[in-house]
Amino acid sequence: MAPAFPSGDDRADFGTGGHRQFSFHDIVLRNRLTALVVDGVDFCRLVEQGFLRSCGLETQGVNNGDAAVELIASGAKFDLIIIDMFLPVMDGLETTRRIRALGERCKIVGVSAYIGENDREAFLAAGGDVFSEKPVSPEVLIPILRELDGQYSNI
Amino acid sequence: MERNPMRRQLQTLRKSLFDQGYLDDQFVQLEELQDDANPNFVEEVVTLYYRDSGRIILNIEQALERKPFDFNKLDAYMHQFKGSSSSIGAKKVKAESTLFREYCRSRNGEGCMRTFQQLKKEYATLRRKLEAYFQLARQAGPVETACRPK
Repeated sequence: MAPAFPSGDDRADFGTGGHRQFSFHDIVLRNRLTALVVDGVDFCRLVEQGFLRSCGLETQGVNNGDAAVELIASGAKFDLIIIDMFLPVMDGLETTRRIRALGERCKIVGVSAYIGENDREAFLAAGGDVFSEKPVSPEVLIPILRELDGQYSNI
Repeated sequence: MERNPMRRQLQTLRKSLFDQGYLDDQFVQLEELQDDANPNFVEEVVTLYYRDSGRIILNIEQALERKPFDFNKLDAYMHQFKGSSSSIGAKKVKAESTLFREYCRSRNGEGCMRTFQQLKKEYATLRRKLEAYFQLARQAGPVETACRPK
């Protein structure tokens, strides 16, 4: 049964006065895309995977860098990997380096609660592709998904 | 029972949460993940947030009781806390988290303590408001049973 939350029209006027460019429902994928979410916080992973699934991706989630590296090393293939920079034990930067060292060339998006210019540079130097503030927004993710899906982006 | 007034009340309450700066667009994104298959998704996520972040709050409290302050540890805790708070759209809580981190970076212990007190207030206030909101949403009932116009 549908929840009693206000309707989509009501949500459009969510009171901030701002205009949203994208929603996670704004994309229709033509191809099957897969994503891995690496986040040490269970509910954050739930949210991130939820957004990706709503865009039509198949997702997996792990809560630490070692598990992500093991998964890639075992041959699992993903079109997209989202990595939180703040991970237990092995941080997101090292996780990114190790994934790239395995020869994995998929799109890697790094997310962090705090963004410093040095953080972005370090992530790109580690082999990452896009660095974003956490949580990753539709404005960041949808163009990436369209690129992966081979669609022309008209933004 | 007339449900439309309750739904209007729910809409008003919801709008106030955004207008007063408690929530940002991330909360709207969470709402859009809610559907018939996951009818309580937002409330579940918020519940998990308060369970998870409660542990971090406790860690920070304990760390602030130890002198001298370990600013690196405090910064790390707040990094995790801010990431979680951002993920549910907790706007005011997020702002206090950012301020706390600035005080950590400048090694300002008084600033950290003051900001942490404010952060806990915002955190508790948001919890109360969201609990009231979810309770009202449950009382308002499912969309299909809203009163039909005569």
